[in-house]
Amino acid sequence: MLIYLGRRLNLLLITLLILCIASYILAFLFPGDPLTNLSGTPSPSDDQAQQLRLMYALDEGALAGFWQYLKLTLVGEWGLSLSSQNPIFDDICQFLPASIELSLYAMFVSLLVGIPLGIIAGLNHRRISDMGILSVSLVGFSLPVFWLALLLILIFALQWGGLPMSGRVSLLYDIPHQTGFILLDIIMSNVANKQQVLLDALNHLILPTLSLSIVTSSLVIRLTRRSVINVMASDYIKAAFAKGLSRPQVFWRHGMKNALLPIMPQLAMQFTVLLTNAMIVEVIFSWPGIGEWLIQAIYQRDFPAIRGGMLAVSALVVIVTISVDLLIRMIYPLSKKQIHAQV
Amino acid sequence: MPLLDIKNLTLEIDTPLGWIKALDKINLSIDSSEVRALVGESGSGKSLVVKSIVGALPDRWKVTADRMNWKGRDLLSMSDSQRRAITRSEMSVVLQNPATSLDPSATLQEQIEESISDSQLDRGWFWQRRQQRRLIATQQLHKVGIRDHDVCLASYPHQVAEDISQKFALAMALVSNPKLLIADNPTMGMETTTKIQVLRLLAKLNKTRELSILFVSHDLLAISAMADTMTVLYCGQTVESGKMSQLKRRPLHPYTKALLDSAPSFRRDLPPKAALSSLDGTIPTLQHLPIGCRLGPRCPRAQKECVKMPDVRRIHEHYYACHFPLHRDKT
Repeated sequence: MLIYLGRRLNLLLITLLILCIASYILAFLFPGDPLTNLSGTPSPSDDQAQQLRLMYALDEGALAGFWQYLKLTLVGEWGLSLSSQNPIFDDICQFLPASIELSLYAMFVSLLVGIPLGIIAGLNHRRISDMGILSVSLVGFSLPVFWLALLLILIFALQWGGLPMSGRVSLLYDIPHQTGFILLDIIMSNVANKQQVLLDALNHLILPTLSLSIVTSSLVIRLTRRSVINVMASDYIKAAFAKGLSRPQVFWRHGMKNALLPIMPQLAMQFTVLLTNAMIVEVIFSWPGIGEWLIQAIYQRDFPAIRGGMLAVSALVVIVTISVDLLIRMIYPLSKKQIHAQV
Repeated sequence: MPLLDIKNLTLEIDTPLGWIKALDKINLSIDSSEVRALVGESGSGKSLVVKSIVGALPDRWKVTADRMNWKGRDLLSMSDSQRRAITRSEMSVVLQNPATSLDPSATLQEQIEESISDSQLDRGWFWQRRQQRRLIATQQLHKVGIRDHDVCLASYPHQVAEDISQKFALAMALVSNPKLLIADNPTMGMETTTKIQVLRLLAKLNKTRELSILFVSHDLLAISAMADTMTVLYCGQTVESGKMSQLKRRPLHPYTKALLDSAPSFRRDLPPKAALSSLDGTIPTLQHLPIGCRLGPRCPRAQKECVKMPDVRRIHEHYYACHFPLHRDKT
């Protein structure tokens, strides 16, 4: 286990290092002065430029420069945003939680919907219920998320009018920024009518979460269904039947665990797909998350912000993937056979 | 009354080419405290017979039989829960490939204790039951020859060696004190010493506990020492069945003879580099089953009539299905 943990952490560190290298190289590949791209100071005076060159160790060769950059990155000095002149790291700390929050809820909803439906479909392989669930999931799978989001806005926000179409919480309420997770913030803050505010925030959450989770649920359904079918056809399930166990007993004692554990990594991978989709959805619903922030940065050619945002999002994805892997390793005995870390 | 009585068992499989009879009118009966051998080369449907008896087949395959009785009760027409009760307490099975028939995500202890039914525990408090189960499991493991039971019970299936998992599967089948043990190739790939150990255990259980055994194997040497009766299967058809001694001395079906001849012998007068006797060709695949007697294309005695399935004929307790049996040439 320790060796495996070591290998995993090794993989994590190396991947993060490569990400840092890539982001450092980006600063030179983007149009404009590398110094501006690194620091975010639009047109530094000579004095400032001299100081920044020293700070980023630009004259001491690429390796020393990168080392300096790595140190600065680790302490949170990610430069300033070109457009707003805010420190990028603070911006990311503010916007990333909103994205994570949205993705987490969407992930939760899609697992809640997808796994039971997938199991039902898998157990009734080639029956009506299987076909039904499969075709519904195919539809959900094929809908482009941006179109789906617009459609949901059209139906639920504009025509029906019951749900808000943008933002995280009604503008009437002022929620101080503490953790960045809106529901947590509301609970921790001391606004009047806390229940009402919470309800309002939940109302705002429904549409973005729904549009995100429809695609992911259908992926989860398909993964679960396939795995359940494979497991139910395996020898040990037949042996369990031959032992004289009933269908529910066989499924709950032997089928469930074996069907779900091997697909856990794949399910966790859906989180990354989700995060990508979340960026699109954020723009449509004006959700103040990292996606919207990043796309604004791209529009405004805010290169330091693009660099920082890319680093943050990809680091998040890598960390999530590897921690899920470690978790599975701890609870799934069969995975202990493999020693090497894999992505 | 025989313990298990099967008449004309037919198993149909849905393939892209239509329904194919993988088993065609199998007859099999096992009396209590009888050891019956079920032999045939690989692909002759031995394991399918086993699986249809215990009902471990995919739902979409059709099993029909004129008679499939367990102690006089029809297995096919009874409800699922009744059938389960029988497979749970009276009939046990060791499937082929024990390693894959163990749940990879559960420890062996969980799996063997699952097979111990509540009726085997004496009425103690519920916290004593765990210990009782554990005790029964341990004793059973010792009986099949697994010495370090603690290690074995705590491991997962992928952590134990192949022959241990084979013995474990046997222990799991025997732990519920069944009336009938269906063992599908239980000694496959074992070392000779362990094999003898296992066979001896089975023979002992047969004598002391009156355990009936359906022994499925192609290891004729192992079987002939132990079995009372034998049923020979070829390509999903029963070709011959009868007393072991009779079948060995005077096989009537050409296939039985070929099978007996193909077992390596250690006769003194065997000339050096003598060819091993075997039938030409291989067993046909399911897609290319011949009509009539399925041995037809390979049979040294085949004639025109063999395109019709021969009826089962009987001489005392000896059944055979052949138009031109050995030793009984028509006049």
